[in-house]
Amino acid sequence: MTGCFNFINPLAVTEEPGTTAGDFYTRNFEKKAVPGRIILNLGPQHPSTHGVLRILCEMDGEYIVRCEPVLGYLHRMHEKMGEVKTPWQFIPNMGRVDYLHPLAWTWAFVGACERLAGIEIPERAEYLRVISCELNRISSHLLWWGAFVMDLGGVTPILYAFEEREKINDILQIITGSRLTMSSFRFGGVCTDADERFKSLAKEFIPYLRERLKMYKGLVTDNIILRRRLEGIGPMDADICRRYGATGPILRAAGLARDTRKDFPYSVYHKFDFPVPAGPANDCFGRYLVRLSEIEASLMIVEQALASLPEGSHIMEKAPKANWKLPAGESYMAVEGARGQVAVHVVSDGGPKPYRVKLRAPGFSNLSLFAEAAAGTLLADAIAILGSLDLVIPEVDR
Amino acid sequence: MNGPEQWLNDWRKAGALSLSRHDPAKEGITVSAFLPAAALISSAEKLGQAGYTLLDISALEALEGLVVTYHFDSFKEPGRLALRVLVSPRKPALPSLYSVFQGAEWHEREAADFFGLVFENNPNLIPLLLPDDLPGPPPLRKKNGALSPISKLGLLGQAEIIDPGFGAACGLGE
Amino acid sequence: MDLSLAIFVQIIVAVLLIIGLMVGNAVVMVYMERKVAGFIQRRPGPYEVGPWGTLQAVCDSMKLLAKQVFLPGNVDFILYYLAPILAFLPVLLLFLPVPFGPILTPLHINEGIVLILAFAGLGVLSNLLAGWSSNNKYSLLGAGRAVAQTVAYEIPMILALLAVVLQSGSMDLAKIVGQQGQYPWQWNIALQPLAFFIYLVSLVGETNRAPFDLPEAESELTAGFHTEYSGMGFALFFLSEYANMLLVSFVCASFFLGGYKGPFLDGIWWTFIKAYLIMFFIVWIRWTFPRVRFDQLLNINWKWLLPLGLLNLWLTAVLVKFLV
Repeated sequence: MTGCFNFINPLAVTEEPGTTAGDFYTRNFEKKAVPGRIILNLGPQHPSTHGVLRILCEMDGEYIVRCEPVLGYLHRMHEKMGEVKTPWQFIPNMGRVDYLHPLAWTWAFVGACERLAGIEIPERAEYLRVISCELNRISSHLLWWGAFVMDLGGVTPILYAFEEREKINDILQIITGSRLTMSSFRFGGVCTDADERFKSLAKEFIPYLRERLKMYKGLVTDNIILRRRLEGIGPMDADICRRYGATGPILRAAGLARDTRKDFPYSVYHKFDFPVPAGPANDCFGRYLVRLSEIEASLMIVEQALASLPEGSHIMEKAPKANWKLPAGESYMAVEGARGQVAVHVVSDGGPKPYRVKLRAPGFSNLSLFAEAAAGTLLADAIAILGSLDLVIPEVDR
Repeated sequence: MNGPEQWLNDWRKAGALSLSRHDPAKEGITVSAFLPAAALISSAEKLGQAGYTLLDISALEALEGLVVTYHFDSFKEPGRLALRVLVSPRKPALPSLYSVFQGAEWHEREAADFFGLVFENNPNLIPLLLPDDLPGPPPLRKKNGALSPISKLGLLGQAEIIDPGFGAACGLGE
Repeated sequence: MDLSLAIFVQIIVAVLLIIGLMVGNAVVMVYMERKVAGFIQRRPGPYEVGPWGTLQAVCDSMKLLAKQVFLPGNVDFILYYLAPILAFLPVLLLFLPVPFGPILTPLHINEGIVLILAFAGLGVLSNLLAGWSSNNKYSLLGAGRAVAQTVAYEIPMILALLAVVLQSGSMDLAKIVGQQGQYPWQWNIALQPLAFFIYLVSLVGETNRAPFDLPEAESELTAGFHTEYSGMGFALFFLSEYANMLLVSFVCASFFLGGYKGPFLDGIWWTFIKAYLIMFFIVWIRWTFPRVRFDQLLNINWKWLLPLGLLNLWLTAVLVKFLV
C-alpha cells in the first residue's frame, strides 16, 4: 500500500518465534506479575518522568499494584570520572550531576577536598557561597513548583516560575559565569567576586519574589482542584523515610526538622537566623508547602548574608592550583541540597587523582521509596507522588 | 541515647576487627569500625532501632580487598557513623541489609554494578545503573598496580586494632 | 419528489458549508487557543508567521497534511483508520438543526436536539475504537476513560437541556430561539440559571477539555486514545474536537443565550459572538486549572450534577404544570 499516503505495512512487523516482547527489565518484572494484568511501561520517554526515568507498573485497571523504577538511562559514571581526573578537572562535573542545584554539589565536592587538606577559606568567600547556593536553591524549587503543577495538568504556572528563574539566572550569572551548570566554587574560595550590580540586583529580587509568592498562593496553592489532588495523597511518615534514607523536604514534611545546614553546620550558616519548615502533613500537599516555605527561608538567608557581607578577598592567597594534590585520607562532606542531603565521599592516597569519589545523591534514596509509596494508588496519584519527590534524573543516575 | 562511644563498645562486643575514632570536622564521620560480614546485620539492626538511617554504601577497592563502607546518620541526634566490611575480591559476597533498611536494595545494586559485589538475600539483584549486558570487569575495580593499602587511605583514622590477623593484613601490627 | 430533491440538495449544500465552517473554525480556534494561552502565560504566543502570527494555523494544518500517517506494529488497521473518520463524519450532521440566523437554519427538524444528542454519542465510539485498535496501553486506558466520562456527562447535559425543552414545549432549536427575546433578561439563562450551569460544566466534560481532559491527560497517558495517531489521523481528531466544542457552544447559545437574537439587531453575528465567547471560556479554564482525578471527575457528575439536574427538571415540570 505504498503510494501517496506512505502507509507502513503492518505485516512487516513480526516477532521472532520464541521471544517475548520487552527487554531484560520487563521480562524480569513480568516474572512476578499476575497473568491478565497490564504491565505498563511508564517512560523512559514520558511527559511526567522529568527526563528519562522509566517505571514499570503492574496495573489493575487504573490502579498500580506494584511498580519498579528502572534507572540508568542518564548514567554517566561520574564516579569513574572522579578517579581519572585531577580534583581541579573534576569540579565542572559536579555542575552536571544535578543541573537544577549544581552549586550544592560543587560545594560538597570542593568542601570535602578542602576539609581533607585543612584549607580555611576567606569569610567573604563563605558568604558568597551561601548567597549563590541559596539563590540556586530558590531557582530549583521554583522550577520544581512549575513542573509539579504541570504534572497535575496545570500548564501555566511553569511559565510564571521561569520568569523568576530568569531573574535568578541573571543575578547568578554575574558571579558564576553560567546560567545552568554553575560550578564557580574553587578550592580556597569562589572564582569571581560580587560587584555592586550583583548586590543591587539581588537586593531588588528579594521583595519582588516575596510579592510573587503571595500571588502564587492565591493562584495555585489555594486552588480547590490542586488541593483535592494533593491532600492525603502519598503519605510518607518518618519510618518509611528512615528505612529508605529519604532526606530533604520529604523528611521535613514527615515532621522531622532535619536540615544539614542546622545539624552539621558547615560554612557560615550558623550565623544566620532561618527557620527549618517541618510538617504539618506528610502527604503531597505537605511536601508542596514545605518547599514553598523553604523558598522563603532561603530568601531570609540571602537577605541577611547580603546585609552582612564582609569585605576581603573572594579567594585565599595561594589557593590550590591546577596541579594540586589531595593529601591522603578520607572525607565525607554533606550539604543541604534542594532535594535533600547531598554528600561526597572523597578518598585519596596522596596521588594526583582521588582514589575514590562517591556521590551520595538524595534523589536516589528518595526515588527508592516510590515503589512502596505508589503501590495501590491510582495512576494519576502515582504521578503526583512522583512529582512531589522532586526528582532530577541526572542526579539519580549520576 | 547512644553516643559514639557506646557504639564503639557495642561493636567491640559484636566482634569488630578494628575500631576507629575520626575527626568530624575533617573526615565528616565520628566513629567507624571494620566488622566481620557475619556481624553486619545485627549491628545495622541496632542502629535502625536507635533511629539511624542508611545514607549510602560507598565501596572501594584497596590492596587488601574490597572495602564496603556503610554510612549511617541519625534522625534524632547529629553524628555520622560508618560500618565497614572487608571482602575478598575473589569471592565478593556479603549479606544484604534489605531486611533492616529497604533503601539498601538500590545502594547494594549500585555497588554490585560498579564492583561486582554479591549481596546475599537482596530481593532483586539485577543491574541498576549499568546495562545488563555490559562486557568486561566491573568499572570501578582497579588494576593491580594502582591499588593502595587501607592504612594509606585513612579509612582507619585513629584506630584501635582488635583482631591481630586483620591488623597484620593491613600492615599495622598490634 | 420535487420536495425531497430540494431537501436533498439543501442537505448537500448545508453539509458542504458545514465542512467549510468546521475547517474555518479549526483554523480560528488554533490561533485563538494559542494566543489566549500565550496571554494567560504572559508570553506573546505565535507571532512569526504572517501578521501577528495569523498564518500559524495554516502552517500547522499544512504540516499535519504533509505528515506521514504512521501505522504502528500489530494494530487492527481497519478500525485504526476507521476511528478518525468516524470521529469526523457525525459532526457534519450535528450542525444541521442549529439555527445560525433568523432564516439560516440548514435543516428544520422538529426534534433537532434529539438528532444532535443521538449523533453526538457516536463520537465516543470513535474514541473507543481508536484506543482499542492502536495496540497501545496508554490508548486503551484513555479509551476506557473516554467512554466512562462521555457516557456519564451526557446524562446531566440531557437533563439540563430537557428542562429548557419542557419549558419551551419544543425540541426544535429554531423554535426555542424564537421564544426568547432580544435582551439578556429575556433569554432562557434568566429562567434556567441552574440548567445553564449544569450544561456549562458538563459541556467541558463532554468535549474532553481540561480540567476534564482525562482521556488525553498528557502527564499520565501521554496523549490518551490518540497517542499513536499522526498526520491526518490526528488532524481529524483535532478537527472533530474543535467542531464538537463549536457545536456544544452553538447549542448553549441557542438554548440559553437567545441564539441569533440580541440587542440592536438580530442576526447570525450574535450566534457566532455568543458561541465564541463560550469557546473562549473553555479555552480560558483549560489554561488556568490543574486536571481533576478520574474518580473526582465521576464524583462531580454522579453526586452533584445528576441530582441537581434531576431537581431542576422536577422543579421545571412542576412550574410548567401549574403556572403555564
